[in-house]
Amino acid sequence: MIKPLLSISIIILFSSCWNGSAVNESYDFNTVSYIKIIPVNDHTYISGSGEMVETSLSHSFLKYGFNVNELSSDFPIITLGHGGKTLELSCIITEFTDSEIIIVPYRYEDHGSTTTTVSQSASADADTDNAKTSSSTTTKTDGGAISSGSKVNYTSARVGIMLKMIDADSEALVWSNSYWYSSLELHRAMEICVRNGVNQMRKLFQ
Amino acid sequence: MKILRIFILSGLLLAGSSDALSKASAAMKAGMYKEALGHISVSQQSDMTNPDIYRMKALLHEAVDEPNHALIAWQYCLKYSKNEILSSEAKVHIQSLSQE
Repeated sequence: MIKPLLSISIIILFSSCWNGSAVNESYDFNTVSYIKIIPVNDHTYISGSGEMVETSLSHSFLKYGFNVNELSSDFPIITLGHGGKTLELSCIITEFTDSEIIIVPYRYEDHGSTTTTVSQSASADADTDNAKTSSSTTTKTDGGAISSGSKVNYTSARVGIMLKMIDADSEALVWSNSYWYSSLELHRAMEICVRNGVNQMRKLFQ
Repeated sequence: MKILRIFILSGLLLAGSSDALSKASAAMKAGMYKEALGHISVSQQSDMTNPDIYRMKALLHEAVDEPNHALIAWQYCLKYSKNEILSSEAKVHIQSLSQE
């Protein structure tokens, strides 16, 4: 009885926390022939970020099996079906943080240590048949501390984007969503952030 | 006279855990992600419910292309996190890694 309730709770928790996309339900995505990727403006603080995201968009579309044409026009164009409609995909970079310092507080239990030193000596006298051996043992014990606290830091990168698609003829907004991702490396954060967006977009055209 | 000195160190079961996290942090900064993961495992022995360490671990697993391990670490991070921002980040990563 408890297990089904727990499963339902987890599903509700995830479905409520994951940002859903906004879609124009009346729009027929099967009639779209082209998606035109509008040039992406740089984030305020990092020049070149726009081009990076734009390239990553083309790359992700290509990776998901779309036909990407970058030669026929100023804008990269994704070719879909034969419906004749064109969508304009625009992207706004909402966050492009190269190195955010993350503080990790932690506690540790110092259980102390025990050091045992064994000294052993052996001597055999030439005049006698007796051999002497002696040994001594010293044990030092450090009680340690029950609990201690400290902190370390490292840096991580974070990229956020907002994507939207507009019908080129009617100028109606047909789809939009925002994404963000964090990683230890900026390029990875950007790549996965964009990929997640493209992955969701492609489902519209299946 | 022959003297043998034998030093036996024992009882150091968990005394090195704080040092381990410092080493993990240093290794991360140097881009040595595999080494950092090794140090984190040691440091976790005495702080098993720290969501920040699970976050650190999850990001490292992602960086070395171990999505399954990363997913598990994010799930623990979410489990122990009481911070809304950290929980939100864990959910984003769990969602993304589950799609792979």
